[in-house]
Amino acid sequence: MLENVKMPEGINKDVMEHLMYPKNYGKLEEPTCVGVAMDEKTGEYVIFYTLLEGNVIKDVKFATNGCQDTVVVGSMYTDMIKGETTEYANKALGLIAKKLGSDMTRQQEICAEMVLNGFVASMMNLKNIQNGKNEEMHVLKMKESCEVEEEK
Amino acid sequence: MNKTYQKKHELWLHILFASFAINDETIKSKLYDFSQIAFRHMKWLGSDLLNDGENYNYDRSMLLMKQENVFDVVNALKSEVEAMQSIYPNTPFGERAKTDDAYLLEYLRQVLENENNNKEVTAFNMQRKWPEADLDAAQTDALTLFLFEESYKEYELILVYAYMQARTDKTLHFDVFQDLIDESHFHLKSFGNMMAKLGILALPRELHEMTYVVKDLEKFVKDGIAEEEAAKEMCKELSEAINEPKLSRFFDFINYQESYHIELMKKLL
Repeated sequence: MLENVKMPEGINKDVMEHLMYPKNYGKLEEPTCVGVAMDEKTGEYVIFYTLLEGNVIKDVKFATNGCQDTVVVGSMYTDMIKGETTEYANKALGLIAKKLGSDMTRQQEICAEMVLNGFVASMMNLKNIQNGKNEEMHVLKMKESCEVEEEK
Repeated sequence: MNKTYQKKHELWLHILFASFAINDETIKSKLYDFSQIAFRHMKWLGSDLLNDGENYNYDRSMLLMKQENVFDVVNALKSEVEAMQSIYPNTPFGERAKTDDAYLLEYLRQVLENENNNKEVTAFNMQRKWPEADLDAAQTDALTLFLFEESYKEYELILVYAYMQARTDKTLHFDVFQDLIDESHFHLKSFGNMMAKLGILALPRELHEMTYVVKDLEKFVKDGIAEEEAAKEMCKELSEAINEPKLSRFFDFINYQESYHIELMKKLL
């Protein structure tokens, strides 16, 4: 399945569908955990809501004020992990990140990392809650801003 | 949060996107006017709610159905307008909104009476053929991404500025927000109609409150100026990438408008 994931390198029909009708977009009313990945330089964010039953992701939603690359990757990634285990989601993170590395510009790669960091932040929120911390959401600041100079 | 406000927000979008979807210029223009009235309804309803100590948000739960002919678009819209009638508040605003909607319903009935109006709707066919010039794949991709990016941004700006306008007590700020809202309405209209021409009409995605609940106006304005600069650059790059005289002139025109938005925004600092 993961080998067949089409990333937004060009606008094929799958990508068009994700652009026109992003999957799992919005917010969950009663999530188990919430994570935010924040690009402080641009103010762009991805917020990631996860509803867990044991270690199975029963439902997941994301929202962003970022660019279309962020939306397409968020739509694809949430579609992949919904109904799967958190272990699978973590594995999918690695495989997607690897795939993005060769296919995308640095700017697009950072946008995609923001989606992935949103999920990671939601898992950190879960861990903190389990450790007794009263944390509404966990925020991860992006190390690199998507406002990068593209190589000519 | 207030459900009437949410339904009014959704109805504004239903009318607006019906206007984009329909090719007939007369129906398109009439529906666009009604969408602007619906947007003012949102503003007045929001203001009444705030005066009453209530609040509202920009949550939505709506889909834009892929319709294939004008009557399907109009019938779907008619159902949405009719459903709204029973939930308006019993206030002067509610009375005004009901009479506006009754007139819209009468217009929709007139459209449905004439079978000649029932043309094909091509706004959702995903063909991505620009009707006014022969664009190659790279030009079409560039135009597609630009339209998705910017239609969302204009929708976002309209709602963010409206949210802030409703909560300011400074006349200068109120006026600047109004100018920026008006400008973004024009841009959204332009981009929405272009998306329909390409067969890729889609609703902008929903706004999360992290986007529109602004705690630091100065930071918001500075970020907004940087965003306008980025939009200008995107217009310039797109104009160069597309290299089609009519479209390039249009993007240059939008580019100069973005420059003036920056001047307007500086007044907020």
